[in-house]
Amino acid sequence: MTDAQILLAALLTPLLSAVLIACFLRCRGTLASYVSVAAAAAICAFSYLAIQACEAGPVRAAVDWLQFGNFTVSMGFLFDGEAATMLAMVAFVGLLIHIFSLGYMSEDKSKGRFFAGLSIFMFSMVGIILADNLIMIFVFWELVGFSSYMLIGHYLDTDEAAAASKKAFIVNRIGDLGFLVGIVYAYWHFGTTNLEAMGAAVNADPSLISWVIAALLMCGFIGKSAQFPLHVWLPDAMAGPTPVSALIHAATMVAAGVYFLIRITFLFPESVLGGIAILGTSVAVYAGFCAYGQNDIKKILAYSTLSQLGYMSAAFGLGYPGVALFHLITHAFFKALLFLGAGSIIHGCHHEQDIFKMGGMLKKMPITSITFFIGVLALCGFGIAGVGFAGYYSKDAILIGSLVKENTLIFALLLGGAFLTAGYMGRLFWIAFLGQPKSEAAENAHESPLTMLIPLVALAVLSVAGGVLDLWPQGLGENIKAGMKHLHHADTDHAAAHTVHLWAMVAWIVGLVGSFFFYGVGKNGDALQNRAKPVYEFLKARLWFDEIYGFYVAKIQQRVAVLLSFLDIFLIKGLFVRGSAGLVGLVGACSRSLVVGNIHGYVYWFLAGILLLWALAAGVAL
Amino acid sequence: MLDILFYVFSAITLIAAVLMVLTPNAVNGAMCMIVAFIGTAALFVLLEAYFLAVIQVVVYAGAVMVLFLFIIMLLDVDKGEGATEYKDKLTIGAAAIGFLLLAMLVCSAFSGSHLPEPVLTAVTENPEVFNGGVPFTTSSKSFGYSLFTKYMLPFQVAGFLLLAAMIGVIVVSKKHDVAED
Amino acid sequence: MTVGLNAFLIVAGLLFAVGLLGVTLRQNTLVIYMSLELMLNAVNLAFVAFSRYNGTMDGNLFVFFIITVAAAEVALGLAIIVALFRRRQSVMVDQLNALSH
Repeated sequence: MTDAQILLAALLTPLLSAVLIACFLRCRGTLASYVSVAAAAAICAFSYLAIQACEAGPVRAAVDWLQFGNFTVSMGFLFDGEAATMLAMVAFVGLLIHIFSLGYMSEDKSKGRFFAGLSIFMFSMVGIILADNLIMIFVFWELVGFSSYMLIGHYLDTDEAAAASKKAFIVNRIGDLGFLVGIVYAYWHFGTTNLEAMGAAVNADPSLISWVIAALLMCGFIGKSAQFPLHVWLPDAMAGPTPVSALIHAATMVAAGVYFLIRITFLFPESVLGGIAILGTSVAVYAGFCAYGQNDIKKILAYSTLSQLGYMSAAFGLGYPGVALFHLITHAFFKALLFLGAGSIIHGCHHEQDIFKMGGMLKKMPITSITFFIGVLALCGFGIAGVGFAGYYSKDAILIGSLVKENTLIFALLLGGAFLTAGYMGRLFWIAFLGQPKSEAAENAHESPLTMLIPLVALAVLSVAGGVLDLWPQGLGENIKAGMKHLHHADTDHAAAHTVHLWAMVAWIVGLVGSFFFYGVGKNGDALQNRAKPVYEFLKARLWFDEIYGFYVAKIQQRVAVLLSFLDIFLIKGLFVRGSAGLVGLVGACSRSLVVGNIHGYVYWFLAGILLLWALAAGVAL
Repeated sequence: MLDILFYVFSAITLIAAVLMVLTPNAVNGAMCMIVAFIGTAALFVLLEAYFLAVIQVVVYAGAVMVLFLFIIMLLDVDKGEGATEYKDKLTIGAAAIGFLLLAMLVCSAFSGSHLPEPVLTAVTENPEVFNGGVPFTTSSKSFGYSLFTKYMLPFQVAGFLLLAAMIGVIVVSKKHDVAED
Repeated sequence: MTVGLNAFLIVAGLLFAVGLLGVTLRQNTLVIYMSLELMLNAVNLAFVAFSRYNGTMDGNLFVFFIITVAAAEVALGLAIIVALFRRRQSVMVDQLNALSH
């Protein structure tokens, strides 16, 4: 098999699985789940083969799909180092989550639909990773949005899930508007949408970089990766099943935005990069604060995801795309672990999600708790003196980057974010896992089955060891290694590295210990809520973004929509459609009046015709 | 002398035509029509188209009008029905005015001095060819000559036309039985 | 003869106008048909006049054909009127209005 065929197989296997399930296996949920897991395993196998092939050099393949005049839309693969890294992560984490879903969704009635959605999602995600031009990325971007919509709304009978899925899709579409305009403008500017061609053009002539294109393409990233101001859909998306939250809204889809940015790094001028950095930092801090006002375990993890996405975009904005990719990968590992652990807990407590109703999970579900704690430590950047879990390496690299660029404000804010992260994760862990069970459900919790534990353990191992780049297999992470090397070279006397390591260590220690004492172990209620209610309420309000948007849509946009609808009914339906029909009817009636049954009438019409012909012949201008 | 004849026969023709149009009785109208045709034949004679004059009398006045009379009497239109035949006064007034206008138009178009007056050349026995057309003679020999040389095709087509008309008449006027097979 | 071409044309034109008057004014189908023949006749007169005054024979020949065609047409038209009378029991035009709405 040639390299391109391997990639094609990796792309099409999940599509095949989805079609199979949708057509035949919708009612046979168990069989559907096995098909889907088999597809995920196949993706893993194919991507392994492809990565082997990629060591020689990037794999390129393209086929012309549509042709309009001299504008062709082609579908092709560009499988280089960053694509290989991303594909490896998506395939492996995806496979683990598929296995987890076998156990988690075992009692669900619509398993078939769920696994079809997972397969379609894997297809779309692999498409984004492998795509070589902007239009193909856009096509798969929308497909990913659709799969997200389908999977968030999996629990059809709850209003909350339906509303959340709509919100996710619509907010994404708002971002995609800018994306689409950006693609069109990029085509007009460069004459092509192929990534490599654009890169070559920019290398040859740096004046071609336009901040407008960068800003427009960034809109797609803002929508998909939940930056300001389009971040509102991510917490609501937790209404979907937990494996969905793990796969889509933690590890892969939201990271697709960052991956896309990394793909088009060459298009960004300094000004836009600065804007991205500021955007990322602000959302990192904002989400950190918001997490303190949440009691639902999945919502806390969602805000944590928002915060870490902010870190990734800050890294990108500071000019280190390799570091951003690094954090993306490590974040995928430990965030997936956290979400799957939360899923395990929720499954064990029979779908109880409030942390104040859990408690004592450490005794009831030991393996889950230990792996969850490993995830917490990885997220907080646990590490001492140069060795640590995965988050330690990537997060500290971002902080080092901010110092090296002499951006003390960003450094301070990101460090504050690290404090906050440790704080709320500690709050989560101490309350939910230690102490005594606080409800019936928690009392009866028992350890999850093996299909749910194996992925947890696998991800825990990755969270521990994934940060050590030397352990990564050959061929993966070349970009990352290059980026880290670049960073270390910029940090000439390692002063920044030392400062960061010191302060980061202080951050996670203070955060974890502080939350231990402040929130207590296994308390009934939120300590902040009890002691400083206004602060708690303010944090819970999350800066009223949802309320502002709701007001705008209901009051302002709705009025415009009503006006447009009136115009539509009046102008288009009334005037144009009915009017043209009436005009035709009028012509018909006039023609009908010619056909009188009366012979004398016909004679008069003859005379009129003759006069007309006479006038024409005489040259009377008509 | 010929001028007077011209005026007399023109008057006869026109008056007969008007009478034909205005008389309520169809048979009377047919009679008046015959008079008009004979007047036209006389005008043809004045124009030295003797052959055509005879054809006019024989075919038109003799055959066509007789056929008309046959049909009129066959259909036997009721006198009473004919009496209520006229349209309302408005239509009659409008038609009369229209006719007067048309007449005035015709007269003014053809009586002015702005039109050329061709001179009536004398008819010779063997005239030279004039303007590419067949030269004018009064004999029917020239008719036959032209019909079989220059106008051969229209002649044959007219023959076919008459054949088709004959067949058509037979077909159209066949009586259909009630129980038709 | 000192009468000019225009006089003949005036006569022909007046005959034509009378025929037109008859077509538009009368209700009896047969009278309408006779008026049509009158119009044809007027045209014949004009043709012969032109033919004589131009010194060519073509006008006369054309009149020959017009008379032929008119005879055929009269025969057929009257056959149709007879058939119509058999159906409708009337030849009055105002009663032959089955095609009007």
